[in-house]
Amino acid sequence: MAVRPVLRYPHPVLKRPAEPAGEISDAHRALIEDLVDTMRAGPATVGLAAPQIGESVRAFVLDVSGHPRGEGAHGLVALFDPEVVEADDPDVLREGCLSVPDLTANVRRPRRVVVRGIDVDGSPREYEMHGFEARALLHEVDHLDGMLILDRVTTGSDLFPRRVYR
Amino acid sequence: MAHFAVTAIGADRPGIVAALTGALHDAGGNLEDVSSTILRGHFATMLVVDAPGDADGIRTALENAAGPLGVQVHVADVEAGAPERPRATHALTAYGSDRPGIVSGLTGLLAERGVNITDLSCRRTGGGEPIYVMVAELALPDGLDVGALEAGIREVAAGVGVDVSFGPVEVETL
Repeated sequence: MAVRPVLRYPHPVLKRPAEPAGEISDAHRALIEDLVDTMRAGPATVGLAAPQIGESVRAFVLDVSGHPRGEGAHGLVALFDPEVVEADDPDVLREGCLSVPDLTANVRRPRRVVVRGIDVDGSPREYEMHGFEARALLHEVDHLDGMLILDRVTTGSDLFPRRVYR
Repeated sequence: MAHFAVTAIGADRPGIVAALTGALHDAGGNLEDVSSTILRGHFATMLVVDAPGDADGIRTALENAAGPLGVQVHVADVEAGAPERPRATHALTAYGSDRPGIVSGLTGLLAERGVNITDLSCRRTGGGEPIYVMVAELALPDGLDVGALEAGIREVAAGVGVDVSFGPVEVETL
């Protein structure tokens, strides 16, 4: 159990597609604990993917239940090898990312997703997620594919500095 | 009436747009397209305007109004009825550690292939290891081999050490 440093772009692990977890081991469970500890330690952090702490494994955690937009969410979700099987009803919202700390971006994502994956006990799980939780899920799955919010921007007016520079 | 392109830039502060557009209105002008932004603390604006008189007269009016705010003004006669803005078909985002040559390298390739840039924004973040981000909207010429363009973009990007996203702009009509 440890709060681990969150890597920032241009660290190369953030741009690399992560490896499938496969069989869930104690090492995988320890990774999830570190992800949860690191997520809880972050400022208003609702999700974290394994590549963000330097582990190129298809695993993430998310918990939007404490967020103002988190109504109806599942609480803590930790999944390996997630697969988005349904996604629809797109919407645009401003997103930030601990790995791209100086910029935020308007990102278009589906408002409803169904995701399947493997939980920490190695059992298959399926979640239907809506609204902010669906967005957070898709943001984390992007990390597993080496995608950042910058890859989701198609026009300069969708990109914003997080601080004012003088 | 004549057609003018006005560009103005100055340290950002409230009142610049009001001063410029007030002077143009007082001169009998009618605004057409306007685009403005803040570039690292400098407010920059570009206006195309229909107005009576000549460029020198417009420039004097604008300098009198906005000069006291520290704004530099440039006015050019331009042709009315310029070609329609080409429709952007693709978007290109490039980002990486800041270094010279990212924008010139990529746009040089685009120019070589006859690709028209319809919108371009670049930002450099602060901090110890600044990131440079370029977002361009592109109008590809008819018949261009898109796969070959993308391969060229990826080759230039690898050369200057940036990551790129390139793809068609999806427009949904509602």
